[in-house]
Amino acid sequence: MEERPVSLSLKITAFFMFAFLLAPVILVLPISFSADNFMTFPPSGWSTRWYVEFFGDTHMIGALGTSTLLAVAVTGLSLIIAMPASYALVRMRLPGANVLLSFFTAPLLLPTIVLGLAILIVFAGHNLLGTFTGLVIAHLVIVLPYALRVLTTSLGGLPIPIEEAASTLGGSPLVVFFRITLPMMAPGIVATCALSFLVSFDEAVISLFLTGPRITTLPVALYQHVETQADPLVAAISVLLILLTLAVVMIVDRTAGLTKTFVK
Amino acid sequence: MSTTRQNLPGHLSIRGLTKRYEAMAAVDNLNLDVAKGELIAFLGPSGCGKSTSLRMIAGLVPASSGTISIGGRDVTKTPPYKRDIGLVFQSYALFPHMTVLKNVMFGLEMRRVPTADAERRAREAIALVRLEGKEERRPAQLSGGQQQRVALARALVIEPSILLFDEPLSNLDAKLRDEMRAEIRDIQKRLGITSIFVTHDQVEALSMCDKVAVLNGGRLEQLGTPQELYEQPATAFVASFVGRTNRLRGKAEGDRIDVAGMTIRAPGRHAGTVDIMIRPHRMAMRPILEKAAADVEPTNRIRGTIRHVYYSGDILQYEIEAAQQIMTVEQATASGGAPLAEGSDVELAWRVSDTLAFEVRQ
Amino acid sequence: MTAAAIMTAVPEKRPISAGALATLLLGPIAIVNGVAFVLPVFNLLMLSFREALSGGGLGEAFTLENWTGTVTDSYYLELIGQSISTSLFITFLTLICSYPIALYLHRSQGAWRTFLLVLVISPLLTSAVVRTYGWIAILADDGLINSILMYFGSENGIRLLFNKTGVVIGLTEILMPYMILALLAGFGRLDHRIEEAAETLGAPPWKVFWRIIVPLTMPGIALGCLLSFVLAISSFITPKLLGGGRVFLLATEIYDQAIVTLNWPLAATLSMIILVVFGAALVFYSRLLRAIS
Repeated sequence: MEERPVSLSLKITAFFMFAFLLAPVILVLPISFSADNFMTFPPSGWSTRWYVEFFGDTHMIGALGTSTLLAVAVTGLSLIIAMPASYALVRMRLPGANVLLSFFTAPLLLPTIVLGLAILIVFAGHNLLGTFTGLVIAHLVIVLPYALRVLTTSLGGLPIPIEEAASTLGGSPLVVFFRITLPMMAPGIVATCALSFLVSFDEAVISLFLTGPRITTLPVALYQHVETQADPLVAAISVLLILLTLAVVMIVDRTAGLTKTFVK
Repeated sequence: MSTTRQNLPGHLSIRGLTKRYEAMAAVDNLNLDVAKGELIAFLGPSGCGKSTSLRMIAGLVPASSGTISIGGRDVTKTPPYKRDIGLVFQSYALFPHMTVLKNVMFGLEMRRVPTADAERRAREAIALVRLEGKEERRPAQLSGGQQQRVALARALVIEPSILLFDEPLSNLDAKLRDEMRAEIRDIQKRLGITSIFVTHDQVEALSMCDKVAVLNGGRLEQLGTPQELYEQPATAFVASFVGRTNRLRGKAEGDRIDVAGMTIRAPGRHAGTVDIMIRPHRMAMRPILEKAAADVEPTNRIRGTIRHVYYSGDILQYEIEAAQQIMTVEQATASGGAPLAEGSDVELAWRVSDTLAFEVRQ
Repeated sequence: MTAAAIMTAVPEKRPISAGALATLLLGPIAIVNGVAFVLPVFNLLMLSFREALSGGGLGEAFTLENWTGTVTDSYYLELIGQSISTSLFITFLTLICSYPIALYLHRSQGAWRTFLLVLVISPLLTSAVVRTYGWIAILADDGLINSILMYFGSENGIRLLFNKTGVVIGLTEILMPYMILALLAGFGRLDHRIEEAAETLGAPPWKVFWRIIVPLTMPGIALGCLLSFVLAISSFITPKLLGGGRVFLLATEIYDQAIVTLNWPLAATLSMIILVVFGAALVFYSRLLRAIS
């Protein structure tokens, strides 16, 4: 199909809007190499002192450890929980499967500030505040909708005759699932893992309600740091987080496809 | 209902097979016997129940009622993976993450055939469909025709008691389709596997298969050899679905049928409203001025006017208005004469024995 | 017919019934959703009808006090009004800034399109804290914009941070990826042949834009605006950091009431008010969608 040529005025406008969109993300890169004590732009000198500072900051490194561990746990659990659910929703022809899917993805529609408060109040009564378990459960609620959506899309896109063929060739339902369905879903599973990891790793609002002096995550530690002082330490960490994001976006693009995952 | 009756139940025996979705019957009381080694076609328009029947035989769709037995064993409740059936899908349904060899070996692996033995047999099957050298390819690296051959090899290698084809050729282009048709027929005969071939293409059904089951609206209209279907269609549907026909409606009394004031004779005795069908190329046509030759056989004659002439190289097709209908007549072109002009009055003639008459139930 | 009825009456033999299997497969996700979504939200709703005692305690009795108090108090009425009007303004800005990008993306192809999509989606997946921090670097008194202004001779620069301007700029940028993706999803109906047809019929480019492109992309615009509005009114990190505690919106007030004042019933009531605004936006959206199509 022949594409419509893009007019010059659209190109220019789009360029400026892209610049606006990317400005804050791009700007943290030079700031992270600032030699100044405070955040100013342009920096008066260049250094890598803030990266060094980060790796020596036990509070931040501890938060990074918690966030990583949390994201890994949430990713694993979300896969284990969402995989059977998506199979049931896509393949079992349940009455009201669509309603169920909407229900299970509903937490995405709720503002995180409301969900965070709601979970805070319930968890406060069960000693789950400031605990790793509490964070895992809360993160699962917001990660599962993503996982479920990517997995149901992935499973729904698989041609059923291939599974039927395996079945007529003598594969029992379990064999068909593990030998045929699962390998064909590999791209969707990789995308699910990448997204789940990132959504959990970046979550700030709900965590803010649930963390405390005993345990904190990296986004919460960053938030608290920015709230009290403006130095280039956060820029250095931001650069690392942006690189992580880019890696995940690439993985999703290579496996499930960006358009399929993000543009309905 | 069927014109060919077998005294013994066949290798595949279907009794009263029915599939209901809500109130609608997709397949309604199907009875069928297929002898060992026979290739039988399920022919019908889309939605006639042919694919649903096939899927019930394969066990992919549970039957609402009725029984299916293979080699005397009732398999109605048997899940597909225990039925010992080979199924070739319209979409090929190859495993995209496995090589050709692994695809073909899958069924043997499920049957716990030792790997070395399985690989030998898989390679033989691949050779049988003439794909030697492609064993290590992935399905995506093969053409449509090659993929279909892999699907065939994969279904054959397990030596199933029944081989099912679900419109396997409809995704191929015309030339490949002819080639594959001959090849499938050849392999099926050589191995002597009882087979069912679902298709909506009558040429495919008539030219490949020993017998054809014509389905319509979930019911079996007729089961017979291709020739029986064409020459002695049991119902008006079969007559019009298999081959082309001119159709006239009239009132019958005995062997005489009144159509718009003209009398047409048909074999057998009929009463009430009947549909008469005549194949376009079984009709002769000549200008009215020519003197009629004496009829050797009983012949129907009606008069009409040529409305359109279509010339397509080897065939001349005339559309003739006769008996208040448009009738089609086909003639092979000859090097001599020019086609008759549009607007000419002509006489149509055909043998009484070529007249198919069906009483219309009201 | 009777034989058929008898056959269907016989239940099929299966090792496990479909219902039991479905329950088994859906059980875990249902438990998580129940424990950490349905129960807490229901609890929050109930809490909005409880009396707040001093020091974070809760009264036992059912009361409408929180609701009546909130909707009659001029401070909260203004807070709600401010939140809604600010969010609407941000939504409008987001649409203006996102539309050219979406249109450009829609018309680009291949690797270039993928690259641009990465640029759009990466910010979406980058933590709000990081992006807000970037905006502090741009908007601060000695940040990018003021440095440029000073360079060109401005004496004092302008104050962009810790006021509403900063919050609006930051949130607009934060919400752009959502808007772009929603617009793109709605651009499916936009066929360049229709535009060409309009051109051959004599329409100049600006008329093609207003009469053809905008109406055809209306569903995407509506979806994007709904998303942006809902996210703007419930966003917390950006208004808190860029507003510096001087910009008061519903979301920041909820947090303060919950964590600082420890007035959970009031926080719960404000949360429910956000959900009511959500519901209203959703109703408005579906009305709009029906009007378009």
